Amino acid sequence: MWALNDQTILKDSVDAYNKDHPDEKITLRLFAGDDYKQKLRVAFGANQAPDIFFSWGGGALDDYVKAGKVDTLSDAQVDLLRFTPSVLKSATFDGQVYGVPANGLAPVVLYYNKKVFKDAGVEAPKSYDDLLTDVKKLKGAGVTPISLAANSKWPTLMYLEYLLDREGGSDVFDGIASGNAAGWKDASVTAANTRLQELAKAGAFGDNASSVSYDQGASTALLYTGKAGMELMGTWEYANLVKAAPDFVKKDLGYVAFPSLSGGKGDAKDIVGNPSNFLSLNSKSKNKSAALTYFKNYVLNDSQVDAYLAAGSVPPVNKLDSKLAAVKSADDKKWLTFVYGLVQNSPNFQLSWDQALSSDQADPLLTNVDKSFLRQITPEQFGTNMSKAAQ
Amino acid sequence: MSTVVATLRRTATGGATLVWTALVVVPLYWVIVTSLRGQADFTTGNPLALPGHPTLDNYRTVLDGDFTTYLLNSVIVTVATVAIVMVVALMAAFSIVRYTNPWSRLTFRLYLLGLAIPLQAVIIPVYLLIIRLHMYDSLLAIVLPSAAFALPVTVMILVSFLRDVPRSLFEAMVVDGAGDWRMLFSLAAPMARPALVTVAVYDGLQVWNGFLFPLILTQSGDKAVLPLALTLYRGQFGINVPATMAAVVLSTLPMLVVFVLARRQLVAGLTAGFSK
Amino acid sequence: MTTVVRTSRPVASHRARPGTARGGRRRRYSGLLMAAPALLLFGLFGLVPLVGVLVLSLARWDGLGSIGWAGLTNWTGVLTDGATWQALWLTLKVMVVSWLVQTPLALALGLFQAPRGRLRALFAVLWFLPLLLSAVAIGLTWQALLDPSFGIGAAPGLHWLAKPLLGSPDLALYTVIFVIAWQFVPFHALLYQAGVRQIPVSLYEAAAIDGAGPVTRLLRITLPQLKYTFVTSSTLMLVGSLTYFDLIYVLSGGTGGPGTATRVLPLAMYITGFQVHDMGRASAIATLLVVFGLALSLLTTRLSGFTRMDSQQEGM
Repeated sequence: MWALNDQTILKDSVDAYNKDHPDEKITLRLFAGDDYKQKLRVAFGANQAPDIFFSWGGGALDDYVKAGKVDTLSDAQVDLLRFTPSVLKSATFDGQVYGVPANGLAPVVLYYNKKVFKDAGVEAPKSYDDLLTDVKKLKGAGVTPISLAANSKWPTLMYLEYLLDREGGSDVFDGIASGNAAGWKDASVTAANTRLQELAKAGAFGDNASSVSYDQGASTALLYTGKAGMELMGTWEYANLVKAAPDFVKKDLGYVAFPSLSGGKGDAKDIVGNPSNFLSLNSKSKNKSAALTYFKNYVLNDSQVDAYLAAGSVPPVNKLDSKLAAVKSADDKKWLTFVYGLVQNSPNFQLSWDQALSSDQADPLLTNVDKSFLRQITPEQFGTNMSKAAQ
Repeated sequence: MSTVVATLRRTATGGATLVWTALVVVPLYWVIVTSLRGQADFTTGNPLALPGHPTLDNYRTVLDGDFTTYLLNSVIVTVATVAIVMVVALMAAFSIVRYTNPWSRLTFRLYLLGLAIPLQAVIIPVYLLIIRLHMYDSLLAIVLPSAAFALPVTVMILVSFLRDVPRSLFEAMVVDGAGDWRMLFSLAAPMARPALVTVAVYDGLQVWNGFLFPLILTQSGDKAVLPLALTLYRGQFGINVPATMAAVVLSTLPMLVVFVLARRQLVAGLTAGFSK
Repeated sequence: MTTVVRTSRPVASHRARPGTARGGRRRRYSGLLMAAPALLLFGLFGLVPLVGVLVLSLARWDGLGSIGWAGLTNWTGVLTDGATWQALWLTLKVMVVSWLVQTPLALALGLFQAPRGRLRALFAVLWFLPLLLSAVAIGLTWQALLDPSFGIGAAPGLHWLAKPLLGSPDLALYTVIFVIAWQFVPFHALLYQAGVRQIPVSLYEAAAIDGAGPVTRLLRITLPQLKYTFVTSSTLMLVGSLTYFDLIYVLSGGTGGPGTATRVLPLAMYITGFQVHDMGRASAIATLLVVFGLALSLLTTRLSGFTRMDSQQEGM
């Protein structure tokens, strides 16, 4: 079985399985983020793929499904009904489920530094206009308004995902994801890019964002050291912050949903991010029954759910309220309730675009997002370039 | 007049010398002090100051992981590649020098051509080949292509060296009734020793620091060599730059040891083949 | 790299001759046997892939399924794509600017290192250190060092370095060229040092008798005598610049960014092949790289007249 190397809780589930099944053990191999997807692809190409593999669902998983490399999973086999339906959607193609969620919900939220906000006299933004005002004031106070790791490109994409959703509603990208290349030329795509460039022009991201790399932890550090006021990032950032700066989390960490946009068609309750990661079964596996046992009884079982909650992450399973109420740490409880509420109340949970689209479009997407952010291309050109790449 | 110019020249070289020394030393110094810093010290302090509370925690973090596996893989890959190249290239060079038929001329030209092929350009077919040979994700998958791409330079250097061996020595052996193999082992190999050291050092350094073949031809952590492992560390420690720098230091340490023990051979090895 | 050949300067009369009549057949047989392993290895992983890359450039392969025939679509795609030409242009730019930056630096440092002496030896040791680091280690180091918030720009007095050196589309390529120079100048300085040390002392003694000053000696003796070193070093730099993959890969986080500002040809090939999974198209880009490499070495060989080796082979 293959997974990413930050999946320590998932690892516990494998250990638990191996303890109960000493004769048919699962070997877990962990990979670093950047290369994992390539390695998996190459392994499938070389017919050396693992029995169980970890993915983000969406277009990348669909590539493997289309190539006949993945088995379908039924409720009888793995007890699908316990998972949140909106999350399972990311691993469902043509009505068939091809993966079980294996870790926490990861919507993207806006983190902020309460102390920096107080010093600059600003409030957490509720609307896009608030955001612009905050940016101006924070800039005036001499801090970088928003910390953005633009060097890694995918953090910039998060802005575009939210802005498009707020601007044109969730239908626009749903259309694109289902293969309508012309969807990229929708007026709302251009409008979203205009907003992104507007933010950049207003100095929202400071002068150096294009050099900040997420892998080096710099964007996170800017937030907790008070050099920046806000950061838009997935929920995994909470655990990073707890690890790097526990005092900051206790005293000064604030978080809100992405601001609403007046005049936009989208629902302000919509969220984007990674619904969850999924574990799927290689169709050429020789150990299928062992894998299914693992999926059914060890993935997100009771103790796994507890472990995720304890680590500040909300797993995508139903009926969590009583468990949430039992969380001891007040900080964690507040955070977990916030995330759970966000997901429960959202009409749409959009999988990040680079995962939702097939893998051949991920690179053009990230490159064009970066170029749009750097204002090397106009908002219109973004749509033109993307619709060309999608054909 | 000329003394003025000479002074100018001396100032210029002297100035360049100092600037360059600073450019080399400051980053290396930064790597070392950063590797001794705690995370909090790193994000708040002066990056060039000595760490207020120096700590070896970062090194512990690295060594607690699979560092020894990576180190061992690197050593195996480097030693195996260099050994194969030395033996195979010496035989090839000897036969090119010994025989002057069209065949040997053609081989010579093939290696000449090989010098001009950028390794990156053929990585896709090499990858396909390795898969078809069922060698994907093994150390052998790094060793064989690395050896193949070290061959052209190595053969060229050895050929040029063996050419300078006086003909009379070979003739004398022929008169003694020696065959080619004996001539190779008891004459060519000892005579070519300096050149062999040169190419061993040069090829060794290339393979030790090689990145593209490991990146594409292996996948699992237990097959990773050091340069590839460094990129794994970045993903793993992500947020922890000091630990990444500790990994950089540790991965360079073996070469530093070689440098301290055999500086002269290393320097000579790097340049001899190119500047004789 | 072809210049290695120059080192030989073979003198025909010194060369071992093929064996006489006695045992000729057995000898030819053993000669073939000796050449075989190297040929096999190089043929399999060097020459076969060279043909393979051309064949694959006419194929459709996503790295997952089976390989199919694509005709010339990869080629029309690659040649009409502005990104290819931009990558080619960037590669050329890196090549030329690197050469312009590294050559004078390496020459100056080499001249300084050449005379023996303790202080100079100490400097030489320090300068050698970057050669020990892998390109990956160098890339990770400089990426962290140039981080505008927590890198060297945070040091007092160095705030002017707190700029998006690797993030600005205008600066990134030059920053990369600087780091490349940092990695390779020590090696070329060593070449020049070795070159200077090989200049016969008698030349300088003769010049001293003529009353030549240090400048005249530099211009009349040292620099002309370094001509071969210059050609060797330049060729290595130019051909080598086609292979600056590792460093740029690490410095740009594997993307050739910001935007596509550092996406040189090898990186474009890698991304097309192993991230976009279009192996056919990537092979077409790789073929361009091969043509580029061959043309370059042919050019440098011709320009520097280093076909000598070849012609002497012919003349035997």
